[in-house]
Amino acid sequence: MALWLPRFSTDRLACLTVSHKAVSRKENLAPETPLVVAGRANNALYVHALNVAASRQGIYHGQPLANARAMIQNLKIVPADEKADADLLEWIADWCDRFTPLVTLDPPHGLLLDITGVAHLFGGEEAMLALVRAKIAAQGFAVQGAITGTCLAARALARHAKNTIAPPGENAQLLAPLPVAALDCGEDVMRAFRRAGLKTIAQVADRGRAELASRFGANFVTRLDVMLGVEEKPLAPRRPLPDFRTEQRFAEPVITKEVIAASLHALAISLSGMLERGGQGLRHLEAFFFRADGKVERIAVKTGTPLRDADVMLRLLNERLDALADPLDPGFGFDVIRLEASFTEKNRIITASFDNNENSRWQIAFLVDRLAARFGEHRVQRFVAQDTHIPEAQSAAIPAQDRDFDGTWVRRRKENDPPLRPLRLLEKPEEISVPVSGVPEGAPMRFRWRRAQFDVTRVEGPERIAMEWWKKEKPTRDYFRVETRDGQRFWLYRDGLYRETGLHPRWYLQGIFA
Amino acid sequence: MTYAELAVTTNFSFLRGASHPRELVERAAELGLAAIGIADRNSLAGVVRTHEAWKKLGPDTPLKLLIGARLVFRDGTPDILAYPKDRKAYARLCRLLSIGKLRAPKGECFLDLADLENYRGGLFLIVMPPENPEEAKPVLAALGRDTWLAASMLYRGEDRRRLRTLKQVARAARVPLIAVNDVLYHDAAQRDLQEVVTCIREHVTLHDAGRRLEVNAERHLKSPDEMARLFRQCPDAIDETLRFAKLIHFSLSELGQRYPREPVPRGKTPDGHLRDLTEEGLARRYPKGIPAKVRELAEKELRFIASRKIAHYFLTVHDIVKFARSQNILCQGRGSAANSVVCYALYVTAVDPMEIDVLFERFLSSERSEPPDIDVDFEHERREEVIQYVYRRYGHRRAALTATVICYRPRSAIREVGKVFGLSEDVTGKLADTVWGHHGESISDDQIRQGEQDPHNRLVKRAVGFAERLLGFPRHLSQHVGGFVLTRDKLDWTVPIGPAAMDDRFFIEWDKDDLDTLNIMKVDVLALGMLTCIRKAFALIRAHENVEEKNLTLAMKPTDPAVYDMLCAADAIGVFQVESRAQMNMLPRLRPREFYDLVVEVAIVRPGPIQGGMVHPYLKRRADPSLIKFPSPHSDHGPPDELYELLKKTKGVPLFQEQAMRLAIVAAQFTPDEANGLRRAMATFRHVGTIGNFETKFIGRMIARGYEKGFAEACFEQIKGFGSYGFPESHAASFALLVYVSAWIKKHHPAAFAAALLNSQPMGFYAPAEIVRCARDHGVKVLSPDAAYSHQDSTLERDETGQLCLRLGLRQIDSFSEADAQTVMNDRGFGYRDFADFARRTGLSKRALIILAEADALRGFGLDRRDGLWAVRRLPDDKALPLFARLSTPDQGAETIAPLPQMPLSEHVLTDYQTIRLSLKGYPTEFLRPHLDAEGIVSCEDVGNFADGAFVRCAGIVLVRQRPGEGTAIFVTLSDETGICNVVVWERTFERFRKEVMGARLLLVEGKVQKSPEGVVHLMGEHMIDRSTDLRLLSGDALPPVPPTHRHPRNVRVLPPSRDFH
Repeated sequence: MALWLPRFSTDRLACLTVSHKAVSRKENLAPETPLVVAGRANNALYVHALNVAASRQGIYHGQPLANARAMIQNLKIVPADEKADADLLEWIADWCDRFTPLVTLDPPHGLLLDITGVAHLFGGEEAMLALVRAKIAAQGFAVQGAITGTCLAARALARHAKNTIAPPGENAQLLAPLPVAALDCGEDVMRAFRRAGLKTIAQVADRGRAELASRFGANFVTRLDVMLGVEEKPLAPRRPLPDFRTEQRFAEPVITKEVIAASLHALAISLSGMLERGGQGLRHLEAFFFRADGKVERIAVKTGTPLRDADVMLRLLNERLDALADPLDPGFGFDVIRLEASFTEKNRIITASFDNNENSRWQIAFLVDRLAARFGEHRVQRFVAQDTHIPEAQSAAIPAQDRDFDGTWVRRRKENDPPLRPLRLLEKPEEISVPVSGVPEGAPMRFRWRRAQFDVTRVEGPERIAMEWWKKEKPTRDYFRVETRDGQRFWLYRDGLYRETGLHPRWYLQGIFA
Repeated sequence: MTYAELAVTTNFSFLRGASHPRELVERAAELGLAAIGIADRNSLAGVVRTHEAWKKLGPDTPLKLLIGARLVFRDGTPDILAYPKDRKAYARLCRLLSIGKLRAPKGECFLDLADLENYRGGLFLIVMPPENPEEAKPVLAALGRDTWLAASMLYRGEDRRRLRTLKQVARAARVPLIAVNDVLYHDAAQRDLQEVVTCIREHVTLHDAGRRLEVNAERHLKSPDEMARLFRQCPDAIDETLRFAKLIHFSLSELGQRYPREPVPRGKTPDGHLRDLTEEGLARRYPKGIPAKVRELAEKELRFIASRKIAHYFLTVHDIVKFARSQNILCQGRGSAANSVVCYALYVTAVDPMEIDVLFERFLSSERSEPPDIDVDFEHERREEVIQYVYRRYGHRRAALTATVICYRPRSAIREVGKVFGLSEDVTGKLADTVWGHHGESISDDQIRQGEQDPHNRLVKRAVGFAERLLGFPRHLSQHVGGFVLTRDKLDWTVPIGPAAMDDRFFIEWDKDDLDTLNIMKVDVLALGMLTCIRKAFALIRAHENVEEKNLTLAMKPTDPAVYDMLCAADAIGVFQVESRAQMNMLPRLRPREFYDLVVEVAIVRPGPIQGGMVHPYLKRRADPSLIKFPSPHSDHGPPDELYELLKKTKGVPLFQEQAMRLAIVAAQFTPDEANGLRRAMATFRHVGTIGNFETKFIGRMIARGYEKGFAEACFEQIKGFGSYGFPESHAASFALLVYVSAWIKKHHPAAFAAALLNSQPMGFYAPAEIVRCARDHGVKVLSPDAAYSHQDSTLERDETGQLCLRLGLRQIDSFSEADAQTVMNDRGFGYRDFADFARRTGLSKRALIILAEADALRGFGLDRRDGLWAVRRLPDDKALPLFARLSTPDQGAETIAPLPQMPLSEHVLTDYQTIRLSLKGYPTEFLRPHLDAEGIVSCEDVGNFADGAFVRCAGIVLVRQRPGEGTAIFVTLSDETGICNVVVWERTFERFRKEVMGARLLLVEGKVQKSPEGVVHLMGEHMIDRSTDLRLLSGDALPPVPPTHRHPRNVRVLPPSRDFH
């Protein structure tokens, strides 16, 4: 069975708004609003996908976006998100598991289901096709499908002749009137047929095989013959195999904790050995517990650094198992336990370092992994540098295991110089009252903060930082490092220059030096 | 208290400085600075403008201008400001920069500290403080004397501590500390623009720019008091700036041209040599004896040339022209100095001074110390030979091209600023596309709306605001099309030279205006497509037709009435200069009958005469000579016929630029100085807008002297019009000659003319389809490009009846490479037996064969498009090793296959348009005719049969869209199988239908017919409908609409290209 979701990308967007913001659908993405998804090719934007409303107004696939815009004033345009599309298609494929275990992706926007021997469970091919279509349509996706003996033919029929079921041996008749595009053999070949005046599959199929083979190659002829009838290409399984995998099968299902723990231990050691031989470390560890009754329990752990130490793996898994709200239920026992390293990276050889800093970094990484395994990865955060002059925006907190973001901290301080920035910034700058300060750009002599009075004895500055005018017009700040009579050091700023604020500027305290 | 700012970066440090040199100089003067030192990044490109702005301040300004450069090194040395103390040091600086530029790709400059050490004599150097001041020590030690260390107070928090360290470093190195503010813009308010240009430079959005931007807005020019306050801990550094400024005595005024000496025969002076050459030339030009008038003029000119000591210049031009002539390269001179008997005698121009008044006067006014100006046009395909000759003769160090400063135009500005603001490309593209051409000066709310953006959207508005501020900012330097600067000394002693994008081309950092400011002479070696076309046409005529050789020259007598008849009928497609719509409208009105009429024709359809309202008076007086009268002053103020001499040839109406100038002198009694000022203002109208100063003076004086107010105002309007696109009589005359020659070829040898036009593409105004159609209208039989017969170029051949036919060349086929075409020609021998023979012998790639088949160019082998393509497909792919290529392509056995379905004619035509952009088999609209008839839509030809004022609907393929410079109307040319229809759309209507007019391939126009008494028919478009989708009917395939980009009309595709190979 072949399925095709002709308006996949736009339907996805429509569904998305429905599930997340029920209201906005009526406003923005009512089905009658022309909607296109814009893709990019050769540095130009073009229409990558479109909804029914848009195609009714004459927009077509592959049209330059500027043209489409020119044609329709209220055209809604969303940039293409191929990853989201692919994820969703995967999800739908998973979902189709309920009909048959053998599902493969058929890009773009199609699925192939091997329904050999299962159709009768759903009341025959016709009923099954109707059911699958109805279920997918209920999710908000337009869908076309076809059932034939070979996938190539099914695919062509699904895409070019809606919802056909070809009884064995009748592929050829059903395919005959389809346009050559249904052969799906590349733009170049298709043009050759069009130029030759061969517009349907029947016209192509009527030409001599030698004639076709000498022009388009033997592969083409084979493909044509496969499509028209006889030979079959097996479906390839969808899920990629994990990078490394090890499992233990039990003759008798195991139930006791000790046996399970021992088994996990053995598996971890074995996996660790495999990783070591491959020079890899894992970033993503999964444990599968296959229950005798068919249920599968799955536990996944992520790490921040490539990992191969068996003990650490075990500890992380245990953290996870302990944190489970609903503990692992062996039921009638597990008959298979499996460990998979589903995402690995090249691991550099760790030699024990004499540098304690180095070792403690490893320990921190391990601590982070443990904490994240127990509390959730979003609860353990670290700071990354942001590229901006605005002091309070110079760092941002992200999940500590996430290594995708990395800013570079700029070292502004020179050897032997005092620090220019305080170690600690206040959550929010706090206003202070300054009775008198030097003009035009002097520091305060005295100020009051949190109801305490401070006398300033030493000052350095100003450091003038202009705000980011393109975000919001805000006054320029003059920062001062001040030291008070009793030796405390603060980071203050005047909000606005003398010529803007006159004699009565507002002052803030933003940070405290150690 | 005063101060001199020595570290100033202008916007000629591209995308770093954010103020024009003028703004900086003016602000420095306002602030009362003692001096301003301009130092752009490894460049002297902005110094002439700075110098000019500084001179405008007047001789009494207390501001001193220092010229220098900021040397930026690739070896990690901190930036160094280099100021030459005298002319010699300046030469060294130029040389230093040239060395850096020549070893770098275009637009960059690679310098090491060692280079500076080689050329440092006489240069005063200011070392900019590195991030860590200690790092300056080795540099200071290496540079020795005449070195300063700069200190700046830029509000970095630790400024005072830093100043102290710098002081220590300076003391240790025994160099003085000098204050700078490292200026990037003249006013703090320019900070935002500076950040925008920084983002453009770094290719980031403002949002992502982060610390690539400056931390605050302090890098502007500051007043002496402010600087003194900032440097209160170190007042010496401020005083040092003044001492520094006093040390420098160099000014750009010291630069002057040292024009190369041309070799002169032993014992002769240059003037004597020029005189001999002139005599010799005149004797050849006038074999029956030199007329007295000519002799007299020549005397006068030679005396003047001698007094100005510019004989060398004429000798140079003569030499270049002589070279071109020896290589059979057609050329023709124009320009102020070219308009002379001397140039006629030297064969630089072909305008006979007996036929037309030479107005050497314009150049001759000796109060003008302007350099002479001769532009020489060469065939565009062979100009390179001339350029290389110039390089060979003068050497790369004494000859270089001038630069063109490429400035931000609305289109480029909005595109790049939009990116900075994170607007998506389709938004900025849309905004940019609504800007017509490249010379619009600002972006209006209407245009924003046309770009389907809300002008009140904050982001868009902001982006547009910045784009406007960016207009006119220099963006990069590019080579001028052909202006050569030649010097006697090494050129890189006067101005830095860098490599151009093309191999073996070098250009200086200054543009034409800069050279004018400094009085440096240049020779323009320009390219003109029509000259190429004329040479090619002559060659074809020589080869195929029986015409006397002496008639095939530019100097033919322009007197053939048949040629004028053709022009009067506005049959001018392909004819030089008069083929545009506006010119074609003028031809039947002006009805040229003699050469001078052509001169007028060329000049009259120009902004000057149009703005001055001179066109209609002239036409009326032509029709009825009794109307001719000459404006005259009141009898108290001068003789009533004072303008007679000036205006007699143009029937009392001033048409040419120099007539307007003479009017200023004669009628408005401008002194020579004033006239000179007016002329300069006129030339630079677009830049400065100072012409208004002369307006009251000009009009006031004419009225005071008794001239009519209307006439005076019209004359001044005209002067303003000339400002934008001046057209002196000398240019007009030179061009008119080409008009005549090209018209003559078209009239008498239409096949050769069409072939030459096609072979000279790109040139002219019309697409090949129009040229071919016109040739067929003139009775030429046109044959399609065919692999069996065609050459790369279009050729002439005789058919079986002996009739001369035009065979289109393989170059008409899109994507078919010239090398492949050469192979086809070289391997042809006595012809190819059949297609298999052709494929085997030429060994063309399969791709090339497919292109040929697709273009239906295999008919010579008996294969039509469809069969050809099917046959080509059968050939093996080109994968064989080159060594065995020939061996491994055995003859495939003949194949018997069922016939393919017939290709319908409409599809043939459509595919013809897709592959060769024209079709000899039919016209796309032909197949739509039944549908169009049913809707009551008339054909283009029929439009002319309706009465004036009738309302019609006419549809056709859009050939040309044109908006004449200052006009308020848009011309659209529609075309169908019956002919063409000229549509005029008024600006207001156009704004409503912009999308249709600009976007449609097939346009339906509804409006009234307008017929002039001369029989010129227009359709005044009132309502426009885009009917491009109808074209789908031709093939059944969807045709993408026309992309909304602006192309030259000759490149506009009637139908989109086929998609295979793009």
